[in-house]
Amino acid sequence: MKDTAILLEHVSKSYRLSHQPYSSLKGILLSMFRYRRRIEVHQALNDVSLTIRHGETVGLIGVNGSGKSTLLAIIARVIRPSAGRVQVNGRVAPLLQLGVGFHPDLTGLENVYFNGIILGLTRQQIAERLPSIVRFAELEEFIDTPVRAYSSGMVLRLGFAVAVHTDPEIILMDEVLAVGDEAFQHKCLRKIQEFQHEGRTILLVSHDMNQVRQVATRTVWLHQGRVMADGATDEVVRQYLAFTEEMERRAI
Amino acid sequence: MLNELRELYRYRELLWTLVLRELRVRYKNSYLGFFWSLIVPLVTVAVLTIVFKRVMGMVIPNYSAYVLAAFLPWMYFQTALLDSSQSVLAQIQLVKKVYFPREVLPLAAVLANLIHFVLALLVFFVYLLGYVGAPLLPSVALLPVLVFFQTLLIAGLSLIISCLNVFYEDTKYIVSIGLQLMFYLVPVIYFSEQVYHAQIASPEWQRWIYLLYHLNPIAMLMTAYRKILLPPITVQQIGAVQKQTFASLPMDWGLLAVACAVSVVVFMLGYAFFNKRKWDFAEQP
Ligand SMILES: Nc1ncnc2c1ncn2[C@@H]1O[C@H](COP(=O)(O)OP(=O)(O)OP(=O)(O)O)[C@@H](O)[C@H]1O
Ligand SMILES: [Mg+2]
Repeated sequence: MKDTAILLEHVSKSYRLSHQPYSSLKGILLSMFRYRRRIEVHQALNDVSLTIRHGETVGLIGVNGSGKSTLLAIIARVIRPSAGRVQVNGRVAPLLQLGVGFHPDLTGLENVYFNGIILGLTRQQIAERLPSIVRFAELEEFIDTPVRAYSSGMVLRLGFAVAVHTDPEIILMDEVLAVGDEAFQHKCLRKIQEFQHEGRTILLVSHDMNQVRQVATRTVWLHQGRVMADGATDEVVRQYLAFTEEMERRAI
Repeated sequence: MLNELRELYRYRELLWTLVLRELRVRYKNSYLGFFWSLIVPLVTVAVLTIVFKRVMGMVIPNYSAYVLAAFLPWMYFQTALLDSSQSVLAQIQLVKKVYFPREVLPLAAVLANLIHFVLALLVFFVYLLGYVGAPLLPSVALLPVLVFFQTLLIAGLSLIISCLNVFYEDTKYIVSIGLQLMFYLVPVIYFSEQVYHAQIASPEWQRWIYLLYHLNPIAMLMTAYRKILLPPITVQQIGAVQKQTFASLPMDWGLLAVACAVSVVVFMLGYAFFNKRKWDFAEQP
């Protein structure tokens, strides 16, 4: 299948949750003297199968802890699934959360190089795209200032600007746009639309249903690591909202 | 392992960028920049020289040159291990989001320290030729070989330490205590000849103690640095009770070969260990 961008077959992911913190020597020593170790396995993804074609924009929604970030991490090859098969065709660019990959002591320019290279560009490609990156971020005056002097929104813009210039085929966005100001959010939405026209694949995790409705043509609703619904955005979002309302009503 | 090395090669530009970033960050906010990394060994060696000549009664011409010849490689070993122990954990947010061969993080820390070491060696040669006026020995040609194997040893240990430190943060404390103890088990402030003549065993055991001591690859490498960089020397120690003389021993090439082989093995084991655990890093809560 040539036009498949992302193929997930019966993907499961379980995390080991130990109630005793093992990340210290004390934890290990204590647990050795315990009668039984309490290790629970938490199933973050449970038999997820998905096929995403090139050029699709897919929204990923679900309550906190439903497994959205885990799913993106598996697609980004950052973690390996416990079971199932993953196939990704094309260059993946994760849009990084605020400040990840930025060094506060280095200037915006130095950070652009580092971010670009970690996302798979060469130095030369970055040099060529630099003017466009800086223009997109609207940070011409601050590009030689250390990033510690930037506001959160400025860091976000620079990170976003680098990521959209890496020429990715598959773009992963995990609630990344929340900190930008109104104007920049619009700009990002325009960029996303541009990407859609260019036939790139976008996976968007968001709790902002308006944003999802605005950009996603298809939406997947995850709940407790399972796919609850997968289909046209309007329909899936409606089901999801009905579900959360129902949960709220029951909680009261 | 071949596949992993190939993937690492594909990401060489990232590795190099990380090295540059490390160097840049370290000196960004200081006026003296690189000279700070020279000031530490120079001040240390000055203090050691005064203490050992005046207080301990060592009679050695150019003692400071002999100390420096071992202290610079020791500094490389120590700072590289300390830097790399934190290298993965410091970038854990990136590790959780972006795919790249994880080994670039500890390796970049090692390479940045390698660059420091090479620069410090250049300054050492200026000092040696200009101030001490010692002749350059032909065996100096072996210096790159020693640096290469020491780097392999450091890289292997760094891979293990940086990986363990993600899961058990006690690692970095254990490493720093271990390094402090190790400092006394390598020939920096004393000479390996003094180990040979150590009065902890009868004379027929001397050879075995010397051998055991040098089975530690870093100890052997430092003995080797001294012997290839500087002419053989007879150490005299004038104590309150007696005067001792330690004649220079020749370089033990067999032991050096063992140290080099151990370094290669440590590197391969370290890399294999790192590869086994490196995809669990992102799952660390
Ligand atoms: N490293 C980890 N170790 C153990 N459990 C984890 C780890 N990461 C996530 N989990 C668990 O897996 C489940 C799914 O987490 P995930 O981060 O994918 O949720 P999410 O849908 O992105 O939530 P949110 O909307 O809050 O971002 C959660 O129950 C979480 O507790
Ligand atoms: Mg999440």
